[in-house]
Amino acid sequence: MSEEAVHNGHGSTNPVEVMNDLLEKGSGQKPLFWRITALLGLLTVAGIVGFAIRLTSDGLGDTPKWGYHMALFALILTAVQGAPMVAIAPRIAKAHWRRSISRAAELFGLVGVVSFLIYIPLIWVLPSMTDGRRTLWFYGELNVPAYMPQIMATLVLVSLVVTGLSLLWVSARPDFAFLRDRSQGRRRKWYGRLAHGWIGSSQQWYWQKHRLGILGAFYFMMLVTVHFNVSVDFGMALVPGWIDALYPVTHAHSSLQAGVAITLVAMYVFYKWGPYKEYINFDQFWGLGKLLFALSLLWFWFWFSSFIIFWYGAKPSEEAILDLLMVGPYLPIFFVVFFLVFFIPLWAMIWNPLRRSVWGPVTIAISVLIATALDRIRVYVGAFSVSQHENKHQLDSIPDAVLPGLPDVLIWIGGIAACVLVYMLAARFIPPINIWEQKELKLYQVHKKFHRTEVQILGKPD
Amino acid sequence: MTTLKPPKSVIGLFEDEDTAADALDAVASAGFEQKEYEILTGTPYPEGTFGEEEPIHKLYRFPLIGAACGFTAGLLLTAGTQLAYPLIVGGKPLLSIPPMAIIMYEGTMLGAILFTVAGIIFESRLPRLFMGAYDTRITEGYIGITITSGEDEMPKAEEILKKAGAVDIKRGWEQTDFD
Repeated sequence: MSEEAVHNGHGSTNPVEVMNDLLEKGSGQKPLFWRITALLGLLTVAGIVGFAIRLTSDGLGDTPKWGYHMALFALILTAVQGAPMVAIAPRIAKAHWRRSISRAAELFGLVGVVSFLIYIPLIWVLPSMTDGRRTLWFYGELNVPAYMPQIMATLVLVSLVVTGLSLLWVSARPDFAFLRDRSQGRRRKWYGRLAHGWIGSSQQWYWQKHRLGILGAFYFMMLVTVHFNVSVDFGMALVPGWIDALYPVTHAHSSLQAGVAITLVAMYVFYKWGPYKEYINFDQFWGLGKLLFALSLLWFWFWFSSFIIFWYGAKPSEEAILDLLMVGPYLPIFFVVFFLVFFIPLWAMIWNPLRRSVWGPVTIAISVLIATALDRIRVYVGAFSVSQHENKHQLDSIPDAVLPGLPDVLIWIGGIAACVLVYMLAARFIPPINIWEQKELKLYQVHKKFHRTEVQILGKPD
Repeated sequence: MTTLKPPKSVIGLFEDEDTAADALDAVASAGFEQKEYEILTGTPYPEGTFGEEEPIHKLYRFPLIGAACGFTAGLLLTAGTQLAYPLIVGGKPLLSIPPMAIIMYEGTMLGAILFTVAGIIFESRLPRLFMGAYDTRITEGYIGITITSGEDEMPKAEEILKKAGAVDIKRGWEQTDFD
């Protein structure tokens, strides 16, 4: 086998060697890991302190004060809960390159629990519909409960989190069985419970394949639904006069874009600092890089389609929306967002040396993630700042930009640290490289001499 | 070959795919029913690799039933509320379809997802209340064939597996290392 083939992750020759290698890599002692975990734990506690300060000083009734908290929830929903799609879509398309990164993406399903915890206070922060704001719920015309936005958002978010957890569990069950069979004592007992009777019968493999398909389809449907509910009820409905049929789709599209970006970053961490260089290689960065490029181009289309309607319509209520979110107090943020989420990816990814590298797509991914965070601040801090505006049909005046206070900074640091902490702990106990998918790859992969070079032949099961 | 006695199970371990496939043919030829034998692997081989029958497809029942329940609940909730408290506004129809559709859609999705998750848990274990014989060497690349039948059939089952080239045979009822 050539040196290049070995470097590209094809060094192990059979499924068992691959499994042994991955299990050995995952079981090493990592003192630095626990130091980082402890640090993240402390930062998470700082976030809880920030939340306690905000709660005791302002209560839950002062909606504008919670704009940054909402923006954090929206960021985690967008980036973290969009990531499992990176495992779902290429799996449905039977793309072999996804095998090394599907687990890295699925693990974000577990981080969805953090997203839900951060969401809980917002149930009380969002005012009831008795304030007279215009919503999709026809409050006052139909007998709809005044807290319908909270009820529906909670239901769909719970569904998304449960689906994400189920997806991870169904996918990881064979790997839990491998770990069960290789461990002793309490570890064996725990992995046995998680494997839940997995013995690798042909029926179990068959069902698992189809369950992953069904859960993947549901995850996508719920992701779009959650983004619809959150962007409409926690964003647009709070801004008098903001009526945009395209914005919920834009919100969901951002989730796909940021989901790819966050998976690229996680993948780079495994590649650079984890022992998985043999498994994560150029193929994965190339595959996700192209996807990120396409999604970044699409961002412009979504943004421009919304913008042109407000700009061309130019009613006072529409001009006020542009003032609030784009050309007014949040203009600097909007410029940075536009630059990072569209301009940089566009001009960077058309440059061959950058696109065909490992570091290039990761740099673009970081740019997209920073832009997504700023965009969520722009939209939700802006929306929450006008939530108590008296005229519910049009903004009569544009308030100044709301700057973050100490509790907001602590909540953001703590929230992001909690996500990283949960992800790191999950990757410690659940193999971050999908072992059974790697083993399956070995059934379909052959390296063959082709004249004076060597080619890789990949089969497909059907 | 069904029996009223409690089932017993044996597993034969094979080193390569072709021997395992031949062994499966031998088990079928010996008169064991399809539900009495099973092939175990640590890697997802394509369906039919060993000549086994494709499992019966029941996967879409749970989401379909859940979706129907969710849709019905959404419909009853929205239509029922409006009919229970009739309030005609501007001469418009009492039942307003667009907002009803949102709740019915979300009810459908929620029902489908909850039933799917319940179905996954249910199907993961309940069809296999009797776990049968197992060997951890399946994880290490061996291919296992289990035969689960009446106690009287076990000597015959062991004989077939041995003749077919099993490198080792384990009796499920003597196992203490797997639950």
